[in-house]
Amino acid sequence: MTPRNRLIRTAAALAIGALGLAGLAGCAGPTGATKLDTKADVKLTWWTGQDSDASKLLQKLADEFETEHPNVTIDVSPGASSTEDLLQKLSAGFAGNSYPDISYSFGSWASQLESSGRTLDITKQVADPDVKWDEFSEAARATVQPSGKKTIGFPAIVDNISLIYNTKLFEDAGVAVPTDDWTWDDFRAAAKKISDPSTETYGYAYSVSGSEETTWQFWPHLWQNGGEILKGDKAAFDSAAGVESLEFLKSMAVDDESVYLDQTDTKFGQLFAAGRIGMMTSGPWQLFDLNKAKTPYAVVQLPGTDGDHTTVSGPDIWALFDHKDVNRAHWAYEFTKWLTSAEQDERWNVEIGNLPLRSSEVDSAAFAAKVKEYPGLDVMAANAENATKARPTVSGYVGLSEAVGDAISHVLQGDGDAKTELAKAAKQADEALAGE
Amino acid sequence: MSAVTAGARRASTSGGRTPPRRIPPSRPAQRPGARLRRWKNDLGGWAFVAPASLLVLGLSIFPAGWALLLSTQKWDGFSEPVAVGGKNFAKLATDDKFWDAVVHTGIYTALFVPASVLAGLFLAVALNRRIRFIGVYRTAIFVPFVASAAATGILSTYLFNPEFGLVNNVLRTIGLPAQGWLEDRNQAMVVIAIMALWGSAAFTTVIYLAALQDVPMELLEAARLDGANRWQAFWRVVWPQLAPVTVFTTIWQTIQAIQLFDLVLTTTKGGPLDSTQTIVYYLWHEAFVELNFGYGSAVAWVLFGITLIITVGVVLYGRRSGQEAF
Repeated sequence: MTPRNRLIRTAAALAIGALGLAGLAGCAGPTGATKLDTKADVKLTWWTGQDSDASKLLQKLADEFETEHPNVTIDVSPGASSTEDLLQKLSAGFAGNSYPDISYSFGSWASQLESSGRTLDITKQVADPDVKWDEFSEAARATVQPSGKKTIGFPAIVDNISLIYNTKLFEDAGVAVPTDDWTWDDFRAAAKKISDPSTETYGYAYSVSGSEETTWQFWPHLWQNGGEILKGDKAAFDSAAGVESLEFLKSMAVDDESVYLDQTDTKFGQLFAAGRIGMMTSGPWQLFDLNKAKTPYAVVQLPGTDGDHTTVSGPDIWALFDHKDVNRAHWAYEFTKWLTSAEQDERWNVEIGNLPLRSSEVDSAAFAAKVKEYPGLDVMAANAENATKARPTVSGYVGLSEAVGDAISHVLQGDGDAKTELAKAAKQADEALAGE
Repeated sequence: MSAVTAGARRASTSGGRTPPRRIPPSRPAQRPGARLRRWKNDLGGWAFVAPASLLVLGLSIFPAGWALLLSTQKWDGFSEPVAVGGKNFAKLATDDKFWDAVVHTGIYTALFVPASVLAGLFLAVALNRRIRFIGVYRTAIFVPFVASAAATGILSTYLFNPEFGLVNNVLRTIGLPAQGWLEDRNQAMVVIAIMALWGSAAFTTVIYLAALQDVPMELLEAARLDGANRWQAFWRVVWPQLAPVTVFTTIWQTIQAIQLFDLVLTTTKGGPLDSTQTIVYYLWHEAFVELNFGYGSAVAWVLFGITLIITVGVVLYGRRSGQEAF
């Protein structure tokens, strides 16, 4: 046997050994309970996807649930270093057969999670009137039912985008402040007046990073102009309504130069807080920073088109995963139901400054107190009514969003016209939707 | 999940480590009892290389093989993978974004490699003398190399911020117009090349410094006696002596440049308008953001192929012209 041959043999043996080990690890582990026993000891793993403050709050709630149900232990962790990374962690977890019972998930991942075949289906349980399923917004309910066949979890956080404006900049420029009946033309005129190149002040800001932040800001325009994102399983955003919407944004960015074009998704928020931007269309997550920076601001619903003030909403969810163990499935469901009930939600979402998850909480004392702390939160909560359309939950949405974001970024930076860019994006989106 | 990146990483190590080929000595005729001794010998050898071999197998070869399998599949990490044969590679050929990324990587390489080699040479010559505090200067040059690319990237976003950055403030003070830097699609790649240079010129400097100290003094003295001035002595005597090192640093820096990723991630994330989208960034984005693991793996293997071709080409050229860089 030549040394070379031996090397190859040894390498092959090692590789087979490693594979064998991996195979054994895959088969190992106790098989789950098949008969429900609510008294049996159960250990749940929960990836919250939240950073420190919110995570601590959720840990406290989990502790409370453990005290109420001593046979249940909940292992709480953020799951990943940032919420974006959770998807990778979940994917790796599925491959290695070690994934949580409950995980936070962006709404846009829902269809991918369902397609993994590892999610629970709680459609029957949530039909129970006790759950008060109808108190969740329509968009939120649609997100946990990506294909419409299964309910893979509960809504976790809801939000929508409203118009936040700097009252002082409006006053300084002598422009009438936005009202509920504003049109986008009013919006454009005000942005132009507030813009001042000498002080580097802009009327409006738009992210051109090409991410979902770029894309979802575009949907209210499209919807208000009567357009649709999808028609059947094909992209439809390149319609006349889509072109009109993008032309409008282009006229502000290129002709008026009244829009700060942000290459990141975060800088415009900081610039707004610093008083350099007159208006931004954003959500409740901005209010904390604005209060910290003591920025004088107010909130109204989005400007409208012919009285239509449709906004976009991005619900995130608690996804529940199947471990072929009815006891774990039972308690994962029970815990999430408890967590998302109005009583607990007031102590978590409302407490941390998010919008209330259920419509019934809007009138609660806890929320009223929060509105005092963060003025405008009530307007944002009421704006949920305008979130009448849900973002598509098909698995090709990620690719579609990328294509649209790209088109918008190009047009707003003066590179290409709306019609060709959108048509190009529609072609790419169709490929993504077809799973190419 | 490191299958895709490992493909790329493997490409990086494949270049530099090929030892000079030796002709194995022919084995003497078998003597009785020698077999057992040889066995023991072999076992000892394997025991020594086993940990490293396991690491290489587990972290490089196996993921690279898996990435090759993945590159023939369509897989989002969640649903069942679907075998698609060579479709991913066929799609690559007509993917404009991929070819844009290749062009951007090429531009960056053309900016970065000559600059880093020349800067290294210049700094090494400047530091190769007996002056006071030479240790301090050498350390100062080397510090940026130790700083992580993430830190360098974040630092550069502050320095080159168009509104509040130090660089634009200096420009304003001396009466020049402020620039968009990382937010201008024609300048972003240049800024990234500058930042990369800042971090890695130290590497070429150290290599050149070592090579300079290996240049025999007798040669220089002989050149002086023959009437060469310093300039002539450097280009006629020292520079040819440095040739193997120049080949090595060029290959090394080229491989580094082709794999540019971390600086892009921490500064522009491929923007503005994809103008800093490099091959590795595109690969990462496809695989881990858009969850096209199959397609990402295909890109990784193409990248590996490109790196391999460049390396083999340069090594062969070096051999032919009689230089032993590797």
